[in-house]
Amino acid sequence: MNPVLEVKDLVYTHRVKRSIFKPIDEFILGPIDFVLNAGETLAITGHNGSGKTLLAKSLVGAITPQQGNILLEGKEAEQSDKKTRNHDIRLILQHSKYSLNPAVTVGAILNQTLLLNTELNEQDRRTKIAQTLVKVGLLREHYYFYRHMLSDGQQQRVSLARAMILDPKVIVADEPFAALDPSVRSQTVNLILDIQQELGMAFVFISQNLGIVRHISDKVMIMDKGKVIEAGATQDVFKEPQHELTKKLIDSHFSLVDKHFEQF
Amino acid sequence: MPLLEVRNLTVEIDMGSEFVKALDKVSLTVETGEIRALVGESGSGKSLIVRAIIGAVPDHWIITADRLTWKGQNLLTMTNEQRRVIMRREIAVVFQDPTSSLDPSATLRAQLEESIPEEFLDKGMFWQRNQQRREIAIGLMHKVGIKNHEACMQRYPHEIAADIAQKFMIAMALVSEPELLIADDPTRSMESTTKNQILRLLTGLNETKKLAILFVSHDLLAISGMAHSMTVLYCGQTVESGKVKHLHRRPLHPYTKALLDSAPSFQINLPPKSHLVALEGTIPTLKHLPIGCRLGPRCPNARRECVKVPEQRVVHNHSYSCHFPLHLPIDDQAENNE
Repeated sequence: MNPVLEVKDLVYTHRVKRSIFKPIDEFILGPIDFVLNAGETLAITGHNGSGKTLLAKSLVGAITPQQGNILLEGKEAEQSDKKTRNHDIRLILQHSKYSLNPAVTVGAILNQTLLLNTELNEQDRRTKIAQTLVKVGLLREHYYFYRHMLSDGQQQRVSLARAMILDPKVIVADEPFAALDPSVRSQTVNLILDIQQELGMAFVFISQNLGIVRHISDKVMIMDKGKVIEAGATQDVFKEPQHELTKKLIDSHFSLVDKHFEQF
Repeated sequence: MPLLEVRNLTVEIDMGSEFVKALDKVSLTVETGEIRALVGESGSGKSLIVRAIIGAVPDHWIITADRLTWKGQNLLTMTNEQRRVIMRREIAVVFQDPTSSLDPSATLRAQLEESIPEEFLDKGMFWQRNQQRREIAIGLMHKVGIKNHEACMQRYPHEIAADIAQKFMIAMALVSEPELLIADDPTRSMESTTKNQILRLLTGLNETKKLAILFVSHDLLAISGMAHSMTVLYCGQTVESGKVKHLHRRPLHPYTKALLDSAPSFQINLPPKSHLVALEGTIPTLKHLPIGCRLGPRCPNARRECVKVPEQRVVHNHSYSCHFPLHLPIDDQAENNE
């Protein structure tokens, strides 16, 4: 079976020249390799500023990596061929609040996505939007709602709807749960698990919350300073971390958990 | 005498046509040397309590309280000058969203050095003062875990990462060696190692210097590791309050239970990819607050009585406001048997 998403040797270099007297600030992301099968979840975690968001951006094509290949179902995802790429890999941004246009309705946001990426006629677009809204746990009436009329959790659902309306093969989510409250977060986690089971999508998500990483991911990748320092099946990594930094991250997470259980 | 005592604090906000009770009879006490956690989701009024305590509330909002005292002095009847003196030296606040609460027009060095009280500069002659200021500032930066202080000191707030700004805010709050630290979501957007470091720092200060902390957050993992007692807030009403241990062992209010169950880290036997426990629905907005118990529409065991606001009941320093608590408190049962 061909993996859905295969990343080989991905390298992205970011250079900033702040002043003519200072050396160039350079940030090198990669080389990064991973393979993702249908229905699997890959979690990317690591310290702030380790290049997680850059990786997400280069996966969806928002930035162009200097080197390396991204293979979608065995075929090269060309930078020039934005149409198939946008169709198959979708991004959910960290702050769903700011990534939704405040001036148009939810329906218009979703309609725009369909207009740009599909050939459906108006009637079909309408039905598709209604179906997707119901699928993510919203109502058909939310078609006419504006961003500010929705709660945080509902906005997150709209972002999810926008990502999955094209029936993508891979969804990339950058800290989708960070801004959510505990009870709403659990709802969203459940929703994503359901959708993944139903449609067999592959899911790449970036998170700091190791509790959730451990709960929903099959594979985990830990990054530091643009490099992957450890990767593997979630259970193995959590059981026997190899790298110094991974050990630290996981130990500090579990020391908090242990403190909690000491009280019983 | 408690350090900070808030009893039945009500804040009414002008929504144009009517006044809405954003906080409805909230009670909270912080004892000397205690770490009290204030837990609630966004929109539950956590930050509003902080603002009411420090007095950063617009004049046209109506604040009423049976008690809002700092070491027995009434904060509400105090003049602004008196209150400012207390805020300067005795209470320190770490605000939410650090990058926007720092002064964007000054470097971090200027801001941190400015917040060092004059009394701390006692060594040497006046021309050595600046040097001393700098040393105190650098020491503080190291204390909160900013290793590369030179790179940060020269920067403006918009040039630094959010987690560094957060640590910087903590450094600025600790500079005047306060008695109470109010930390509004201090561990937000931090990875677990840094979070642990900050929590250790705060616990250390609590143990060595008897620093009392009001820890406002919804990060239950952080709270259960360090806090002694905890107050749970929902939509501007105190839901349950007591020792962290008791709340974890026997939550009496359905909301507290839902909140604790929602963290996957607390459930060891949870198989991966299984469903998490979640309450239906979302937090109502201020314009659409339900009457009576505000959890009512989302509560799994709501009944007709829940349209009335439940009285707060106290059993052994464990108070709760619910008509139908999940467990009968132990002492009630004992009394009934007698």
